[in-house]
Amino acid sequence: MAKILRMNRKEFLTKGLAATTTAAIAPYKLFGKEARQRNAKLFSKPLKPTINGEWKEFHLYITIAEHELVLGKKVHTLAFNGQIPGPEIRVNAGDKVRVFFENRTELNHTIHWHGLYVPWRMDGVPFLTQMPVRPGTTFKYEFTAKPFGTHFYHCHWSTMLHMQSGMFGPIIIEDPDDPVKKEFPYDRDYTLVYSQHDVNFMRESLNDMLNRMKQRTFLMKKGDVDPERFGIFDNYDQLKKHVEHGYQPPYLNNRRSPDGLPVPNYFLVNGKAYPDAPIVYIKEGERIRLRLINAGMKEHYLHLHGHDFWEVANDGRPIKYPQQMNTVRLSPGKTSDIIIEGDNRGLWAFHDHDSRGSTNNGLYPGGTFTFLAYEDLPEHEREVEMMMGNMKMKKKLPIIDLDE
Amino acid sequence: MKKLLLLITLSLFFGLNIGVQSVKAQVMPEFELATRGVMSLNGQIANGRTSSATNDFSDSGVLLGLREKLYNDYRGRLVVGFQFPDAESNLGQIYFHQVFVQMENHTNTFLLGRTRLYSRLIDFPTLRDDDALDFTDVLNPFSNGINSQDSQFGNIIQYGHVFNQRYWIRAYGAHFAQSPSILGIQETNFSTNGGGGVLEYRVPNSQIWNRPVLQQLGLGANIFSTRRIPGIDNKNALTSLQASTIINLKRDPVNFVDLRHQTLYNLGFSGIPHLQSYFDLTRAKSVATYTALRFLHSKLEVPTYQLSLGFGYKTFMDLKRSTNEYQLVANGFYRIGENFDVGLQYEFKHLNGNLQALNGGRSTLQALKLAVIFSTDFLFNKQFDSRNSLLNLEHGYIN
Repeated sequence: MAKILRMNRKEFLTKGLAATTTAAIAPYKLFGKEARQRNAKLFSKPLKPTINGEWKEFHLYITIAEHELVLGKKVHTLAFNGQIPGPEIRVNAGDKVRVFFENRTELNHTIHWHGLYVPWRMDGVPFLTQMPVRPGTTFKYEFTAKPFGTHFYHCHWSTMLHMQSGMFGPIIIEDPDDPVKKEFPYDRDYTLVYSQHDVNFMRESLNDMLNRMKQRTFLMKKGDVDPERFGIFDNYDQLKKHVEHGYQPPYLNNRRSPDGLPVPNYFLVNGKAYPDAPIVYIKEGERIRLRLINAGMKEHYLHLHGHDFWEVANDGRPIKYPQQMNTVRLSPGKTSDIIIEGDNRGLWAFHDHDSRGSTNNGLYPGGTFTFLAYEDLPEHEREVEMMMGNMKMKKKLPIIDLDE
Repeated sequence: MKKLLLLITLSLFFGLNIGVQSVKAQVMPEFELATRGVMSLNGQIANGRTSSATNDFSDSGVLLGLREKLYNDYRGRLVVGFQFPDAESNLGQIYFHQVFVQMENHTNTFLLGRTRLYSRLIDFPTLRDDDALDFTDVLNPFSNGINSQDSQFGNIIQYGHVFNQRYWIRAYGAHFAQSPSILGIQETNFSTNGGGGVLEYRVPNSQIWNRPVLQQLGLGANIFSTRRIPGIDNKNALTSLQASTIINLKRDPVNFVDLRHQTLYNLGFSGIPHLQSYFDLTRAKSVATYTALRFLHSKLEVPTYQLSLGFGYKTFMDLKRSTNEYQLVANGFYRIGENFDVGLQYEFKHLNGNLQALNGGRSTLQALKLAVIFSTDFLFNKQFDSRNSLLNLEHGYIN
């Protein structure tokens, strides 16, 4: 039974329904202009490059923003160009790509190009391939776009916090010879970025890190960089020497004793959770390609109702013998491309079958719960009320379920 | 009425609860646990006569807090805390120094219950909160002076408002503890017997690196509705004015130095020629100042050691005999583990004029305290941010 704020059913029907009829997930509202415009915004438009000779140049900046995960739940996040996920970068295989990455926060960052064959100095791992991009500075990443396929980028500084706080975005490398296009010519192409967030961990850790960075920035301006204080050493031998002389690394529990590792309580698709998560539209007879990216730390088992789909690419690479399935496993760091054929019209749930991933703050339904919607569904089939007779109900059915 | 009776009858019959909307808790609140254990070995010399107290654990205590979001944009909080009072107090083994309910949103805060009084506007680096009480706090004129807690804690109803994150205005009514005239008789009347207000500029701790010099500036007034002194003064209220500041002399995160100063001006009652009792002491016109210089070294982003030197001076202007006192407090604390410090504090106090007689003829008092301190403050089941977090202060407030 649907309930909002523990209203009883009667209250819900009289008050709650009126309050929520503008939400786009009402079946009969899925196809309206307003709903579709709102939904379109949940799919990031590719970032426009500037052409500079042989280079395609992109500008990314990172800032701290307020982001609404789902109606009523706002959090502070790190956001590429002010949005979560970061803007999609879409280029052709072989393009020369230059990304200016401007750090507008007081924290350190890098960008790692996950799955791309970039020169190692462009790989974005702090202290391994580059120094961190310091507050107020800009770093220039340059690489040739390869291999083709579905990939993503993310921050590699304090990865557990920064990725979880929103620093990820898709990078799609297209190739006219993509075998998927030949074998499964498709009509539409969607990118869905999955992520999981422990919002309490994010808040506490971001505050903690901002506090530390204010102090460290102050000291660095004076040239006062103490390896023990910063927890940064030139090499293993130096660290070992300090430990032998009494230095206690921060991971020891007489130095720090955190609450534990993060446990996600919000699960997002393109930065939003049900009932705000994006809806995937299809038409009968169409083929659509879904580029699924897991930019989080938890596995999803994405299950589509009423259909089998083809898994055609894994980690961006085409699968030689595509498999038909109705549930695809999406591990952290993994991308998976699937082809859905529009052969069973209706409104179909598409969600993580590990139901924990379909919750908001522990309440089902939420999180990754979304829909495959046939936009050419005949008008009379869109009416939910057609079921009322079977259920012997006289009033309108509730249309939003927030608390099962 | 009939319906109600029917409902009650039916409910009893079916074993239902009446008047309980939701038996099952929907939200587990945040839970705060703060502890402070102060154990010291004390040695004292008064006019050349030595005495010692072993295992002084006064000022040790526990604070328990519960906090949750309310249905509107407010947050509700309940705090219950107790501490072990001074050995010579008559407060028993345990004293509930904090018992209050607080409601607050982004800019407003309401508090009702017992908590720390605004008898002082800033904290000073002393081993125990009352180590320099004569200089750091407005003394409670309703007290007999035996319990320092009388001047530190009281039952208040308070409203506070913050402008631009740093400018506070607070107004409160208070019941200041009235020491019973007969030992063992508990206070039963908690009606308001005073109040006051505070205007304060305060940089939140989280932003200390954003402001180079001024950390705090405060003005306050404590007004006590004391009994007038028959035939001597016709004023109904005893007023003390307060001014305080904290200045960052060196805001280096590793070697941090600040200077704290507070002046208390007790307007007093006229016509008190001598200090013959604590009653007179709290009502005579006086000025008390306390200044402390603190050096804090934090090697690994947490305090490593702290050294401080404090000096207090108090003078009574209207007495027939020149009467004043001063106190020096020097201490050092060294952190031997997270939350765990060892410390050494030396106090020297000199009394002149009427104060000598009031203190049993003693003119100088010296004390040496060797202490271990274990202090923690943990929040469990965290759910939302505090007003003064960096995210909320600098990147938009999220309730």
